[in-house]
Formats: sequence, C-alpha cells, structure tokens
Amino acid sequence: VADTPLLVVQGTLELLVLKALSAIGQAHGFGILDFIRKVTDEQLLIEEGALYPALHRMEERGWLASYWGVSEKGRRAKYYALTRSGEKALAREVSRWTAYVDAVARIAPEVGR
Amino acid sequence: MSDPTRHLPPKLQDAARIEVEHHLAELVDRLIHEGMDPAAARREAERRFGSPQRYRSALERTARRRMLRASLGTMFLDGFGGAVRTVRRSPAFAAAVILTLGLGIGANATMFGIVDRLLLRPPEHVRDHERVMRILVKRPSLRRGITRSATMTFPDYQDFRSQQTFHAVAGYNGPSQQTFGRGAGATRIQVMQATNTLFSLLGVAPTLGRFYGADEDRIGAPATAVLSTEFWRRSFGADPDVLGRVIEVAGDAYRIVGVAPAGFTGVDLAPVDVWLPLVTSQGMIAGTEWHDSRGYYWMKAVARLTDGVSTEAAASEATALHRAGRLGDRYSYPPDADIELDPLILARGPAAPPESRVARWLGGVSLIVLLIACANVANLLLASGARRRREVAVRLALGVTRGRLVAQMVVESVLLALAGGGVALLIAAAGGRLVRTVFLPGVAFRDGLGGRAVGFTLVIAGLAGFVAGLGPAIQGTRDALASDLTAGSRGSMRRSRARPLLTILQASLSVVLLVGAGLFVRSVARVRALDLGLDVDRLVFVGLEFEKALTFGWEPGLPPDPSAIQLRNDLYGEAMRRVQGAPGVLSVAATVAPFGWALGSSVTVPGMDSIPQLAGGGPYYQDVTSGYARTVGLHVLRGRDLTDADDAGSDPVALISETMARTLWPDADPVGRTFQAGSPSGSALNPPWTVVGVVEDAVRDGIGDEPFMAFYRPYAQRATRPLQGMYLRTEPGRAEEVAAAVAPILRSLDPRVRYATVRPLRQIIDPQARSWTLGATMFTIFGVLALIVAAVGLYSVLAFDVAQRTRELGIRTALGAAKGRLLGAILGEGFALAGFGVALGLVIAIAVAPYVRDLLFEVSPRDPVVLTSVAAVLVVTALLASSLPALRATRVDPVVALRAD
Repeated sequence: VADTPLLVVQGTLELLVLKALSAIGQAHGFGILDFIRKVTDEQLLIEEGALYPALHRMEERGWLASYWGVSEKGRRAKYYALTRSGEKALAREVSRWTAYVDAVARIAPEVGR
Repeated sequence: MSDPTRHLPPKLQDAARIEVEHHLAELVDRLIHEGMDPAAARREAERRFGSPQRYRSALERTARRRMLRASLGTMFLDGFGGAVRTVRRSPAFAAAVILTLGLGIGANATMFGIVDRLLLRPPEHVRDHERVMRILVKRPSLRRGITRSATMTFPDYQDFRSQQTFHAVAGYNGPSQQTFGRGAGATRIQVMQATNTLFSLLGVAPTLGRFYGADEDRIGAPATAVLSTEFWRRSFGADPDVLGRVIEVAGDAYRIVGVAPAGFTGVDLAPVDVWLPLVTSQGMIAGTEWHDSRGYYWMKAVARLTDGVSTEAAASEATALHRAGRLGDRYSYPPDADIELDPLILARGPAAPPESRVARWLGGVSLIVLLIACANVANLLLASGARRRREVAVRLALGVTRGRLVAQMVVESVLLALAGGGVALLIAAAGGRLVRTVFLPGVAFRDGLGGRAVGFTLVIAGLAGFVAGLGPAIQGTRDALASDLTAGSRGSMRRSRARPLLTILQASLSVVLLVGAGLFVRSVARVRALDLGLDVDRLVFVGLEFEKALTFGWEPGLPPDPSAIQLRNDLYGEAMRRVQGAPGVLSVAATVAPFGWALGSSVTVPGMDSIPQLAGGGPYYQDVTSGYARTVGLHVLRGRDLTDADDAGSDPVALISETMARTLWPDADPVGRTFQAGSPSGSALNPPWTVVGVVEDAVRDGIGDEPFMAFYRPYAQRATRPLQGMYLRTEPGRAEEVAAAVAPILRSLDPRVRYATVRPLRQIIDPQARSWTLGATMFTIFGVLALIVAAVGLYSVLAFDVAQRTRELGIRTALGAAKGRLLGAILGEGFALAGFGVALGLVIAIAVAPYVRDLLFEVSPRDPVVLTSVAAVLVVTALLASSLPALRATRVDPVVALRAD
C-alpha cells in the first residue's frame, strides 16, 4: 500500500464510474466519487472536475441515464444510473482491463491477480 | 442511497453550472466536517476540483449537442412508440386513419403522375426547353374572331429558316398511322416525319447509329429512317445489327440509320415508332406539290430562340417574315395574320388540349379529396384526443412539457400518414396505369411510378399527417386541468367546436366534387345522346390502302387518272361483295368522303346571288353507293332515298341535309328544287342536281361540329372521285365481332391492297369524348370517395357524441323522455351539420362553376338537375350516417348508463 495516492490511469475513470454505479444504483457525481474514495481507501486520486466531462460523455453514448432530483441535503443535483447498454459497456471494460492486467502479468508475474 | 424526488431539469445553459456547484458544495461540507474552516474549505474544494471554468465550457458543449440530438431523437422515438401503441391498442382507429389518408393521398399520387407528365415536365430528352417555342399562326376569322393554328404549309415553314431571332427551326408532321411491311403480315405503326434539324434543335443524342442529316432530308434523297428504342425492342429484339437494314413504311423502302433514345417522342407526347426525314418521305408519299404550295396545310414547326432574345422580339420578327412570305396571296390570305410563340409544354400555353385542362382540374380536385381526408383524420384524432385527456393530464403533471407532447403527437400522426402514403403508392400504381391506358392512350408515359411520384407522395403524406395532426395535438393538450385527473371518464368533457366545423367543411367539399362529377356525367350523357346522323354503335368502318400506283393518280392538284380510280373502285366493289354475306352484316355502302373527310363544293342556286356561309364551312358533298342512307342510319325526313334506279342513265338527283334545306329554302319545300355544284355551267360534269329528299344532319368530323350544309349524290351518276371508305351495318351489338371477323378477309383481298383499316365506328368516335369521360370518371370516383369519407366523418362525430352523452341520455330516458324525441335530437343534429355543409357547398359550386364551362358539353355549369340531385344525395347520406348513432341513443339503458364510468 503506497503512501501517496495513485493518479488514475487514462481510460480507467469510465470503468470506475460504471462499476460504482452498478454497485450503488443511482448517484450524483459527488456520490460516485465518494463511493470510489471509500471503496479504494482513498488510494486513487481523481481530479474531481474531470469526472463530469466523463459522465456527460458516457451519457451521450447512452451508457448512463440521468435525471434531476434533490439530494439528502436538499440541494438540486443531477443523478445518474446505468442503462442496459451501460451494463454491457461495463462488462466490456472489465474484460479489457483484465486482458491488460493479464498481459502485464506475463512480463511481471508479481503483478498477479 | 435513497431514491430522490424527481425534479424538472434546469435550463440547458444552467445545468452544467448547477451540477458543478452541487459538487463543490458537497465537497465543502465534507471538508468542514473534517475540521476545516469554511473559507479554507472553499479554497481547498476549488483546488481539488480543478478549473471549474474549463470543465464547465466542455460540459456545456457536450450538453448542448446532446440535448438537441436527444430531443429530436426522443420526439421521433416517442412518436414512433405512440404510433405503434395506437396501432396495437386501437387497430380499427389506426386502420381508419391510414386508409382515409391512403385514399386521399392515393388520389393525389395518381393525378400527380399525369399532371407531372402533361404539365410539369417537358417532353423527354429536350435540353433547355424554355427556349424552344411552338410556332402558331393566328388569323382573324369571320366566323370565330381569331383562329389559332399550328398547322402550316411547307413554304410558310421555309420563311422562318432565315430568321435571326431563331437559333434553329424544325418542322414535323405526325405521328400518323402508316402501314409497316406489306401483305398479311403488315401492321400499322406510328410514324413521325421530322426535319433533320429537329434532333439537334432539341439536343437529343441517338442511342445507336446516327440521326439523318441535311443531305438526307431533301426531295429525291436516299430514304433513311430512325427507329424509336421502344419499336426497336418490340420489333427487332433490340438487335444492334439493325443499322443498314431496309424497312417498308407506307409502301416505300427506308434504310435504318439509327435508334432514338428511350422515351423520346419529339415535341409532343404521343409515342413514335419510326422517324422519317420530313422532306424526303413527304416527297415519296405525296409527290411534290406540297413543296411550293401555300394551300397545302400539313405540318407544324418549332424553333429554338437565339440566346438573349425575348419571345416577343422573336414573335414579331416571325410575324414580319410570315406576312412577307404571304404577300403573293394577299387576296385570299388575311394580311394581318400574326405569329404566336407558345411554350413547348402544350398544356401551359393557350392551345392546351382539353385532356390536360381536365387533368389540371382533377389535380386540384384530388387535393380537395386529400383535404377532406385530412379533415376526417383530424376529426378522428380530436375524438381520440378527448379520450386521451386523462393520460395527457398525467404526463403534463409529471413534467413533460406541452411542446414536447404536441411534437410527439404530431410525429405520431405523421408516421400514421406515411403508412397511408404506402397505401397511396399501391393505389397510384394501379390507378395511374388505368387512367393512362383508358383516357390518355396517346401519351407516352414511362413505366412504373418514378422517383418523382414516390417523392411527391411521401412529401404529401408527411404534410397531410402534419396538417391533420397539429390541430388536434394542440387542442388535446390545451387546458388539461387537474379536474381531468380526478374526474374520471364521466367527467365534464367539453364538446369540441372544431369537430362539427370539420364535418360541415367535409360535407361542403363533397358537394363541390359531386357537382363537378354530375356536370361531367351529364356532359358525357349529352355527347352519347347526340344524334350523329350515323348509327355509331352498329357501323364498322373499312378503309383500304392501295399500292403506290393506285394512290398518285388522285392527289390534290394532279389530274385524276381515270384508270387508277376505276381500279380502286373495282377493288372496293370486290371488298363489298366479300363482306356482304358475312355473319352479322346487314348491308354495305361506300362513299367518297367517310367520317373525317371534307370534300367541299361551291353551290349555286337558281335565283340566288350567293348562298350563306355557315360556321362549319362547306357545303360538303358525298358521292355514295346505293343504300348508303339506310346502311349508316341516315333518316330521310322528306321526299325519298336514293335508289338503284338513280344511275348514269337517269336524271341527276341528290339528297340534301336538313341544314342545307333550311338555309337555302327556308320557306319552301326543297324537294324538286335544283342546284348546281362546282363551277356554274351547264356542262356534263356539272348538271343541275334535283333534290329528291331531305335527310337529317350527320356528323362530319366529330363531336362539336359547327353547322354546315351537306348533300349526297348517287355514285353511279358521278364516279369522278375515288371511293375512300365503306360502312358495314351490323346486327345490334355485333360491331366488334364483325370487325374482327372481316379484317383478315379484307387484308388478304388483293396484293394491290396494302392494308385494310377495319374499326367499329364507336372506337373512332369515342376518343373525341375522352376529355369528358376522363372528367366524368375521375370526378365521380373522387366525389364518391369524398362522400364516403364525409359520411364516415359525420357518423363518427355523432357516434362519439352519443357515447359522450350516454349518462345524459340515460338520465333523460329515466326521466321519461320519449324515444322518438331522442332519435329526433340526434338525427336533427346530423341533418343540421349536413344542411350547413350542403348550403356552403352549393354556394362554392355556384361560385366556381363558370370556370369549368369550357370543359363541359352542352351543360350549364349551374345545371339545376345536378345541383338538386347532389343536395338530395347528401341528405340521404346524412340520414344513413346519423341513423345508427340515433338508434343507439334510444337504446341507452339508464341503469347501465348511470353506473358506467
């Protein structure tokens, strides 16, 4: 376990968001980041502002659906949820990521699963 | 995380800002919770977030793009989903919408193919058609004011060839039927004679080989021919080796030099089989007199204007040239004749043929049918909108904007209309073919629908769906009150004012169409009932075409060759003997001037300086074989018929027509009077003819002949002109059968007979009534269509009304209202709507009527019989359409009605 948080590798952010939403169902942007932060023990450093372009990109692709609501604290917020094609995208991203890790593991077996 | 309450989305431009603000606020909260002071927490949050400005503009860009796409996409998807739901939930409703629009659009698609060909597009393969003009001569005429004629003489045409304002000029004649081949295998084909300049003037290129050149279009040149692609395919199997082969047309040999492109018909629309060089072929067919004669009218001409020259400038130069060319016969020719240049698209000019004028009206009428269909669909949609009020109110309460709901409903109706467009294409494919073959056989249409017609149909369908859907969508989403949510179906549904208005509109437009139909039907009836002086339905016309040696002797201007005439007449005699005893044939007679011919003669009467000129020209004569009047059904009104005893050895006698009797001897009995025909001399050729009988007027050139004088003489007494045709009188109803049976006999009569035309007279005359039958048939179809649609509309309004008022009717029944009262109330409502419609429709019909006057035949455009019978039809239809809902109203069970929700 490293002392300084890791910068998120390019292209991983989408996987993280999809996975988070598949776990919690629906959430606003802050909720999604909060979930990732808690689950990873704050080991991943995500530039918070970068989350939103990613969310909107995924929504545009049809992976996410959104609606506006009011948060627990009474603030107006935009909520996101996975769509059917978002679920498929998640499966694709996971297998891509697994393939990547496998490939790295062949050179550096200590990376392992 | 709990499910938050849903909210309306903020405005597009605020969304990204609000989203980012929310994130920062949450982050600040957490940092404060972790022990930071508020100001520091804010700074830290902004640092962690990164540049909000940067993200925000990126976010807004994607957001805007996405919203646009999403709103269009969901609108379409929602509409599509709505359409599918409608089809599933109420298939009858969807079918009614699709069928109604399908019929309305189908009528338009059918007419579009025809209007497009006649009115919108130039003939095929004409480059830059606006610069190509038809040359017409306008001559002042004593009888009709001004006559406008495209037919001219060859020298007239030659005058225009030196014209500066014409880039090129071309002459043509036809298409005319000519015999192709010879003997039993001979057929008739459509031959167009055209100068070699026509092809380059129009800008057409051959499919195969070449067109004939200038050196091949002069008298005595080697005869060449160009085939049309259609004829080349049909008769030569599209054989590329056809070039150089020799074909026989009208008894002459022509060498094929090329094939014209598919669809090419020159400047007119009639199909052409073979193109012949005008001058060369006319020299072979008719000698040379026409070449220099300004009395031999036979050809037409077109010109392409020089670049930059106006039509007016070209017309005035043409007029000057024409008058100069006619200086030589200033005594017989009006010196103030004008040249008029008309558009190539004939239907757009003043010389538009009646079929195209009728077609233009029918195009407008089909739009009315569509309008009625749209009104009906709007009506149906309004009714269903009233039923869907609760659903709409719910969705509005859920935050769907009204604009979006309207858009979605309009998309839904457009999609249903497009389905109707599919139906329309089927109708147009079948209907178009029928109309073309039955009413416009003289126009070369391309096969199939064509991209333009399909495009037109879909555009019209989309528009129709939009027009029919928009109003009801707006109405359906208006004033959706909370009460609609709670009231249930028994709630206070306001009765729409739009629906009765639509019904009145439909009824009135149906009246207009039916009046149009009635006027055309009456015209056709008048045409049919015309006393043509010939028993059209019982006669078969026979015309023999002889080989060349027998045709030249009697050409105009050439001295008659008695031996050739004798030979021809012998062959006619032989033909008459052959068919005399054929089954179904009652009698046979021949004449020198059958239907369509005009042999004029000057007539002098003892004691009269000159005889009056009648509008129809003449007097015309016929020299006829014995029994002619009896054979053709010409009734002898006074005196006696010609008999076999009136022969070369007896006194010269004649029958005169009713008009001639009335004109020459208005106050006296013409029988026994004498007149002279031809030059007034007492020579053997011009004896005084004694009138022995008066016969009814007979048609000479067709329906609408102006009055003319006619007389008939025994052929046996004056055999100076060759016989030109004969009539077979058949047993009733057997004309076609007899024609088919005797045709082969006559065609193999003698090698000197190249071809025999054998046709029931009805077939020759009917095409003249085509514009009226076209109008009658199509107006009737469209009118009945409109009536049915309007009746369905009326029915649905009343039925819906009854369904809406079930509770009220139940209460009234429970309170003891008489069934008759209820019945009367609903019927009265139906009659009121129909009555307003009829009144409005009659007003429109009477206002529009004068514009169709020219298209009718001896029928007033405000014919009272038509107007009253249409009104009666509408009233009866309204009665039928109202009776079902009215009966239903009387059967409302009060108990059921009151419980029903």
